[in-house]
Amino acid sequence: MSNLFSGISLSQASQSSTNLSIASKLPPLPASPSLSQTIGMMGSPEEALNAYPLPRPLPVWLNPAYARHIVKGNFMTLSARPKTVDKGEWVAHQVVEHYRNLWNFVRVVFEKEEDGKTICNATSCPRMSAGMNHSYTWLNNRFEPIELPAFEYITLMQRWISGKIDDTKIFPTEASGVSFSYNSQITTTALLTGPDEWVGKRSGFPKDFFSICQTIFLQMFRVYAHLYWAHFTEPFYHLNLEKQLNSCFSHFVLTATALDLLKPQELEPMQPLIDLWAANGTFPPESKAYEYANLKAGTRLLQLGGMA
Amino acid sequence: MSEVEFAPPPTPDLESYGPNVAYNRERCYQLAQGFFKDAVRRARERHERQKELKLRLENPELLSRREQIWSHSGKLEAKYLRFLRTKEELSNYTVVKTIGKGYFGEVKLVRKRQDGRVYALKRLFKSEMISKEQLPRVRAERDALAESDSEWVVKLFTTFQDNASLYMLMEFLPGGDLMSMLIKYQIFSEDITRFYTAEIIMAIEAIHNLGYIHRDIKPDNILLDRGGHIKLADFGLSTGFRRDHEKSYYQTLLQRPAPPSGRPQNNRHSVNIDEISLTVSNRAQINEWRRSRRLVAYSSVGTPDYIAPELFSTNGYSFEIDWWSLGTIIYECLVGWPPFAAETFHDTYRKIINWPHTLLFPDDIQLSYNAVHLIRSMINAPDARLGRNGAAEIKNHPFFAGVDFTGLRRIRAPFEPPLTSDVDTSAFPVDDLPQEEGFGDGGGSGPGREGVAVGAEDPEMSLPFLGYTFKRFEKSYTA
Repeated sequence: MSNLFSGISLSQASQSSTNLSIASKLPPLPASPSLSQTIGMMGSPEEALNAYPLPRPLPVWLNPAYARHIVKGNFMTLSARPKTVDKGEWVAHQVVEHYRNLWNFVRVVFEKEEDGKTICNATSCPRMSAGMNHSYTWLNNRFEPIELPAFEYITLMQRWISGKIDDTKIFPTEASGVSFSYNSQITTTALLTGPDEWVGKRSGFPKDFFSICQTIFLQMFRVYAHLYWAHFTEPFYHLNLEKQLNSCFSHFVLTATALDLLKPQELEPMQPLIDLWAANGTFPPESKAYEYANLKAGTRLLQLGGMA
Repeated sequence: MSEVEFAPPPTPDLESYGPNVAYNRERCYQLAQGFFKDAVRRARERHERQKELKLRLENPELLSRREQIWSHSGKLEAKYLRFLRTKEELSNYTVVKTIGKGYFGEVKLVRKRQDGRVYALKRLFKSEMISKEQLPRVRAERDALAESDSEWVVKLFTTFQDNASLYMLMEFLPGGDLMSMLIKYQIFSEDITRFYTAEIIMAIEAIHNLGYIHRDIKPDNILLDRGGHIKLADFGLSTGFRRDHEKSYYQTLLQRPAPPSGRPQNNRHSVNIDEISLTVSNRAQINEWRRSRRLVAYSSVGTPDYIAPELFSTNGYSFEIDWWSLGTIIYECLVGWPPFAAETFHDTYRKIINWPHTLLFPDDIQLSYNAVHLIRSMINAPDARLGRNGAAEIKNHPFFAGVDFTGLRRIRAPFEPPLTSDVDTSAFPVDDLPQEEGFGDGGGSGPGREGVAVGAEDPEMSLPFLGYTFKRFEKSYTA
């Protein structure tokens, strides 16, 4: 592994422990420049791709032939906030939709077969991993990072996320509590700005709402990363579900980046696929996901797949 | 070189997985597909609303109201988003009254706890629908109602489910149905008949334009709204959707020998109506018959009175079956009973099949030439039936001379329901129905209250009912 990655790999592999219940109290993640920005300055498409610590041969899901979708057209229309809608309301909506989508795939690897076995189990996935360089740990009650099988990690995470989503103090559901977005051209209602203002405040979302949503998205991203690295062929490709997975994940990445729910450096384990989708047109040039991508690496993947 | 760069794609291999994985695979596939279909539709509708908003904001005449327009739009969209992410469940509603009951389900008048609004909530028992193979029909109804945005079709707001039941939350139409009107007024004048018929033509045309055949047009399914105008309901079910649409069911019935006449039927609801004595003089008896027919409507079988003959045959059928049914309704409005009324279903089937000989007009009722001509053109062989080339040819029939079909909803209806409150059910014959507290145990005359054993899984996620859940953007939400 090149030194170039050590800083980020360290932050992901060793420090990404999360005790979700105190996530908002954790110090912010280091604001390192995104991986793609760093690599983007380097030479040829080949070098750009080789800079990633990827196994050889490359994983099937990086083959452009298997990175296709069930949807045509611009995914961005699905996550673009209508101008009048309060940002908190829109973020809440997106969190719930993406959570439902993701669990649609998790269910396939989590439900017991007649012999009592699940596809993702302690033997198949002893760690919550996303490739060679990423393994996520959970914080126990004494705030010590512990390694858990992916099955247990994801189960704990699901419990935590659904606890948040079902909490009407965090995700209010009363129709009467709704508000609208501020528009200086039109709305004259005085609006507080400064430290006392937060995303969704006027619609009744709590002060830590946005950071909770960021944590939910980060955790959901890890699950997607695990599904790609550990389960893309077994079972999704075998079950002919890879296009569905691709579509839900690319929609997820577009939404997360557009709404600042994921930071560029947090995308690392899936960066090559993001590059590929930027290069093949899945991510339109005006999207943040495209901005965060390394086009050279994506172009190289297209070349390797005989599609460029 | 590229072949060696990527891990070789293995051959997709579904067979090596167990049955649960295959089930989950199918579910995952449908959910992902359904999500994007739904998300694209919602995005498109949202886009339309935003375009409309932009026009309103740019309209100089509305300058003073811009802030209100903006905030109203934001709140409306936000309410819809909250609606989308909230789980609908029975406990969100309180029961006011049971207003209909059938073999496969029931309809209750409910009030939403959150905003106090009143709706009709139809509940259908899953186990019955599976055992009676009614799923395609429920699905068809859900699709027809969800896709329709017609003023002629009862509005479906949302659908949800639990382990035992599917629920359809619909607008409550307080005017009751055409059947109750006929019970009350016995017959209609030609003018009144013309009004209702014209409205029903518009309604049938609207659903045909969506690509649906109603298949069960009858007075019980023609509901009256607050203003007394009609809306079509019950797309292929009603509170008891019916086995009787299965050809094999009819055929078994038809192969049975006719019951010996003169003996009391083993049907406590059947009223002895002698065909010959069906005259104006025994209106009271006709009404008895109608009341008993309403009870029949709650049974699993339902009445065959309005069904076109080709539904009994194996030759298939098309949109024109709905026009036959309308023909029988026009007859009933003017004459007082449906043309093929008989003591037993069996006799009704036989009369329908022999319609060229059994369609008779009583001597003592004066009908205009045009009315008789219209009825005879609609109660007719499918390839000669008025309406087979579209609704326009019916509208052009001389019986409707002078009718402005597009302006029907703007004129005052002949009967406007006198209502005292938003939960006034005086137009519904609720006296016949047991009224239990709350949602009860599922009640119903049909079995299947216990629910379907689908394990601990989320009922929304059970494969046969996947994609049933639907949520409509409601423009009339109060902001």
